[in-house]
Amino acid sequence: MRLADARALLPDLVTVAGEPQADLRLIEAIAGWCDRYTPWVAIDPMGGALADDIEKTCSAGGFGGDAGLLLDVTGCTHLFGEGEAGERALLADLVTRLARRDLSCRAAMADTAGAAWALARFAERQADLFCPSRGQRDALGSLPVEGLRLDPPILEAFLKLGLRRIGDLYPMPRAPLARRFGNQPLNRLDQALGTLAEPIEPRRLPPAFRTRLAFAEPIGRAEDIAAATSRLLAALCRQFEQAGVGARQLEIALYRVDGSVDRTSIGTSRPNRDNPKLMKLFEERLGELDPGFGVELMILAAPEVEAWSGTQDALPDQNAPGIASGVDGMIDLADRLALRLGSENVVRLLSRDSHLPERVQVAAAVSSKPAAAGAWRRVASLKGARPTRLLQRPEPVEVTAFVPDDPPSVFHWRRHAHRIVRADGPERIANEWWRPRSDGTHPPAGTLPPVRDYYRVEDDDGGRFWLFRDGPYQLAANGHPTARWFLHGFCA
Amino acid sequence: MPVISPSAFASPASKAANDLATLVPAALREKVRRLERANSVQRSGKAAAVPLGIAAIDALLPEGGLLTGALHEIEAGPCPSGRVAPHDGAALGFAAHLLGRFGPGTILWCRRPTGRFDAPPYASALSPWFDPARLLMVTAHRDEDLFWAMEEGLRCPGIAAVLGETRAADPTAGRRLSLAAEKNGVPALLLRAQPAPPQSVCATRWRIASAPSCSTPGLKDVGAARWRLELRRNRFGTPSAAETPSWLLEWNDETHCLAVVPQALHGSSGARFEERLVG
Repeated sequence: MRLADARALLPDLVTVAGEPQADLRLIEAIAGWCDRYTPWVAIDPMGGALADDIEKTCSAGGFGGDAGLLLDVTGCTHLFGEGEAGERALLADLVTRLARRDLSCRAAMADTAGAAWALARFAERQADLFCPSRGQRDALGSLPVEGLRLDPPILEAFLKLGLRRIGDLYPMPRAPLARRFGNQPLNRLDQALGTLAEPIEPRRLPPAFRTRLAFAEPIGRAEDIAAATSRLLAALCRQFEQAGVGARQLEIALYRVDGSVDRTSIGTSRPNRDNPKLMKLFEERLGELDPGFGVELMILAAPEVEAWSGTQDALPDQNAPGIASGVDGMIDLADRLALRLGSENVVRLLSRDSHLPERVQVAAAVSSKPAAAGAWRRVASLKGARPTRLLQRPEPVEVTAFVPDDPPSVFHWRRHAHRIVRADGPERIANEWWRPRSDGTHPPAGTLPPVRDYYRVEDDDGGRFWLFRDGPYQLAANGHPTARWFLHGFCA
Repeated sequence: MPVISPSAFASPASKAANDLATLVPAALREKVRRLERANSVQRSGKAAAVPLGIAAIDALLPEGGLLTGALHEIEAGPCPSGRVAPHDGAALGFAAHLLGRFGPGTILWCRRPTGRFDAPPYASALSPWFDPARLLMVTAHRDEDLFWAMEEGLRCPGIAAVLGETRAADPTAGRRLSLAAEKNGVPALLLRAQPAPPQSVCATRWRIASAPSCSTPGLKDVGAARWRLELRRNRFGTPSAAETPSWLLEWNDETHCLAVVPQALHGSSGARFEERLVG
């Protein structure tokens, strides 16, 4: 029905503009909240609210409230009770908690995603919403055929043929059905009944290692959160030990009573399962978490783990728990620093075989292999004298030279004139023609690569500088020299 | 109008304490200080001091060298002509020399890039003093982060020395660094490109300016690096005759040794060669 028609029928109609983006945000938030039940949460691709094209919305779908979430709770229901009772309890818990937030929903549970989808939308009695294990054939039989998630043309044809209930399809011969309508109806039916697998793609990749802690009463004090984190961490570290892995990344999520979720994560530069060390890293981060009106559930997960490469776990040191010495200590320190300053700001230096001074030194992650002992000394011995500080970007300077090819007699830098008394050089360094230029192109064949002539100079105050002339001296058409001078470093 | 002097409110007890402080001889206080220091150094199991390798300077320093569990300040001094030094290459060289003297292990180098001209240390040129593979470079964008990183480094057992490059002079941070250094026996160095108000707690404070080098006779080449070194504060050391003892040092990049240039050779063009004979 068009809006104009509706208004003609009911002049007092209240209209609100649809906000698909807001709907999507809400459904994302609910999906995030549902992580409390299972890590395997997917936003239903058949949900009406998320289909961007109205025509494409499947027959059963509509608008707004028809969005759906799929939760794979396999292996999670024991947290709510044994066997079927646990499953029922989980379902009831989900509905009551959402209802408490004024979100009306219909939740169904079945062995297959397809059956649960159909039940949630078309079950007539409240009791039918829970389908006992292997009971989907009976449960679905009486439901309308819309519950099969079929494309609209197929659905229309089914209705014309009088196939109104899913149960009507059970006795149908499969081959003619497939010949007439394609594979979709049979696949959907098999998926709903459980004879064909239906993979669900989770919204967030579920972590392999995960521990959760639910509280009888919401907690809010920082000390309580730290204590809970420590307990979760201890449990997770035991899991790591059994699996022979260490964490590279850990994420803690606080499920607040108002339904929102606050997360924070820490990273380590090598697999780690040392409880005190990880706790020390968490202590940095926990302060950023906002418990809001209270936290009712905490989940600690390890999204990234690696095979344990460390040595045997050391006996705990009574005097200094969680502090290792030597290389271990250095890496732990680097982790702590990187957590606060950013990992790009905590680096070690590697040498690279290059003639260009700015390319010799490479900043590398702490987890990378350190430069071999003596590698730097070898690099230094191959080259001429180098400055102790190298400007990241060479500074243009103004230069006066008696003879074009001589070192300058005076250079001006930062509004100061430096009269040069002594000079060494030139040391000619040519660009590396075998590497593409900074814009990705290669210099045309036959052209000489640009060269720099480096001079080490000392001014009358004893300050030592490293200057270079960009290219050999040449006169341009207007009589001015083309070569420019740059300051590239400061010598000891 | 009656004038109330602050001393009228001072209690007799604090007055006595004041008197005591002046009465207890400096030597005794120094002895107590030494005992405390020895205790903390013993716990960390490291040498109390590391000699600089220059006899004239080591003689002035406590325990014959630079204290390991202490804060040391190194700043770039003005040029001989009185101009502000254009760069701190000499101070950096001296700091690298000190870092090379401290024991094996990681060197934590914290720096805060300032201004438009960011010139990080160039590892290849530091290799005569120590292996740059030992460096852990930390870039902080705030001074509090820099001081925090230095303190974390001082508490870490695998660290040989911690160096911080900053312009900030924060007395509280200096005090904390000094305490952390003393507790763990790890030296802390502060490198400054410009002179700053001194930290009251640092054990030594050095001011280094580059000095003109000596060319080969008849040529105009750049000779071995020469530095004018001033020891402007020497907290636990022996007092020297001069108010601020000062030396002219030469770094020989071939033999990798730092030595005092004899007075007779200051400015002489043959200094470099004759000094090698002497050394």
